[in-house]
Amino acid sequence: MIRLVIILTTISLIAAVALAKVYDITKVRIAEQERIKTMNGLKAVLPPFNNDIDKNAKEVVVGQDKKGRDIKIKFYTGKMDEKPVGVAFEMIAPDGYAGDIDILMGVSPGGKVSGIEIISHKETPGLGSKISQDKWKEKFKGRSLEEGSKFAVKKDGGVIDQFSGATISPRAVVGAVKKGLELYKKEFSNGG
Amino acid sequence: MVEILLILVSTIFVTNFVLARFLGICPFLGVSSRIETSIGMGMAVIFVITLAALSAWSIEKVILVPFDLVYLRTIVFILVIATLVQFVEMVVRKTSPALYNALGIYLPLITTNCAVLGVALLVVQKDMDFFQTFFFGVGASVGFTVALLLMAGIREQTAYAKIPQIFQGTPIGLITAGLMSLAFLGFAGLVRM
Amino acid sequence: MADSETISSDIAGVETAPAPWLDFKELSQDLTRGLWQEIPLFRLVLGTCPTLAVTTSATNGVGMGIATTFVLIASNVMISLLRNIIPDMVRIPAFIVVIASFVTVTDLMMAAFTPDLHHALGIFIPLIVVNCILLARAEAFASKNNSIRSAVDGLGMGIGFSIALILLGTVREILGNGTWFGIPVLTGTMDLFGYDYQPLIVMVLPPGAFIGLGLLVAGMNKIEANRQKKR
Repeated sequence: MIRLVIILTTISLIAAVALAKVYDITKVRIAEQERIKTMNGLKAVLPPFNNDIDKNAKEVVVGQDKKGRDIKIKFYTGKMDEKPVGVAFEMIAPDGYAGDIDILMGVSPGGKVSGIEIISHKETPGLGSKISQDKWKEKFKGRSLEEGSKFAVKKDGGVIDQFSGATISPRAVVGAVKKGLELYKKEFSNGG
Repeated sequence: MVEILLILVSTIFVTNFVLARFLGICPFLGVSSRIETSIGMGMAVIFVITLAALSAWSIEKVILVPFDLVYLRTIVFILVIATLVQFVEMVVRKTSPALYNALGIYLPLITTNCAVLGVALLVVQKDMDFFQTFFFGVGASVGFTVALLLMAGIREQTAYAKIPQIFQGTPIGLITAGLMSLAFLGFAGLVRM
Repeated sequence: MADSETISSDIAGVETAPAPWLDFKELSQDLTRGLWQEIPLFRLVLGTCPTLAVTTSATNGVGMGIATTFVLIASNVMISLLRNIIPDMVRIPAFIVVIASFVTVTDLMMAAFTPDLHHALGIFIPLIVVNCILLARAEAFASKNNSIRSAVDGLGMGIGFSIALILLGTVREILGNGTWFGIPVLTGTMDLFGYDYQPLIVMVLPPGAFIGLGLLVAGMNKIEANRQKKR
């Protein structure tokens, strides 16, 4: 009986030590992959920049969630030759068809959208999932809050296309981007 | 109260573990030929999944995260589930022979039911609290049982139907499951999780 | 269907007489067993959960196939090496530890080198642990044979599983999305179903997985029935 326990424990220990080693080796690489992903997203939503954008990100607490934990948003400021070209940050649309939609959006200094990227979503493949199509995301470029009711899906009297059979997902993205613009105004227009 | 209801509706109907998340298909196809046996299996699964979800959650919070051992998650969870199943089997055998007769033969099969490990991994991935974990476990396993019972009901009928030979057994089971899954798609968008 | 019945009937089919250490005829049998005779998914209906869940595209099918094959070969070899050390009483927990370790290695490696695939397969990578094929091969083959034969057996079973995954992924992606490995095949000049073809979205949704696999298994049965008839 004791022999059984010893053998099983030894096998488990060897496995654990080996895994710790593998984890150590891959850890750096996994972090690097995550950074590349963030950088690719930032490049897609911002005008060209050449600063170390992820080194100077600023984190701001914008509110509390239901459990009382802080909701933090990271603002990445892109600069071209020291001149700011835009700010990028992540917004979450909580009202997607099947769950949260994570959006990365870029805003130019004039308060206009410079681009959006869908980071993750659970929308129906072939219907709501069309929000990840480049053609559709292009429509957000240059939109601003000044446009008022024009910045909405067509069904709500605006200029952004919805898809046949899927209005909820585009509407959720539009809503989140608008909220993002408001947040940008609050954080950056008063000399920020 | 509302939150409990949302979790339950969402896990039982909207993202049913078998029909929308594809977890626990093996027992779903294997033990669904008769309603009676499906009830036994369903009860055993509800019991084990709920316990497994809570244990996995506690281990994650008390051991894996504080000691930075998150990479051992898979190995620890599967061992906990295997141990838990053994333990439950022992306790049930000692305390309630009637229950043991009803569930006994299903218990060993549960270790390789991926719904159990699936629930354990999902509750820590979604960063739920203890309370949510409990109801997520209950909902997930009840959802599994609902699907299993429906399937058994249909299978008892199709047993008398003339099915082309090449479709007998697994193929007709899978296609039946597909039609059920199609029906459950009607719940999509009802609740968001 | 991981019941003991399928596993034990499996053992009966695998037992072979003691053979010379390296026998190529035997090795080729070990390889092809997984490819047709006991092709895991269609014959024994093992490993259905990951199959149904990840085959929304052919690419995912390939990724899952490679991951599973790696774990199969590695754990088969390890278990075969340890087969004389592990006492019979605790063999199942020992097998599970070995399999879970290799699954974790795969998980970490995929996160480090193929992050997109890692994201697409998600929770089904750690769930390889409970893929019945692994425990079934460990119990029925690796714990009784030398490590070279076990490696070949793992390779054969892995390829058989991958073929099934890719087949289902192909059918679902082409019908449901009009693409194959991400390349449009149902639009423009190569349009099979006319210019206004709307993808059959249901094929990439859960119901399509069940129905697609059901039809594939039925098709396999048909082929097998025809072969039997010829004999």
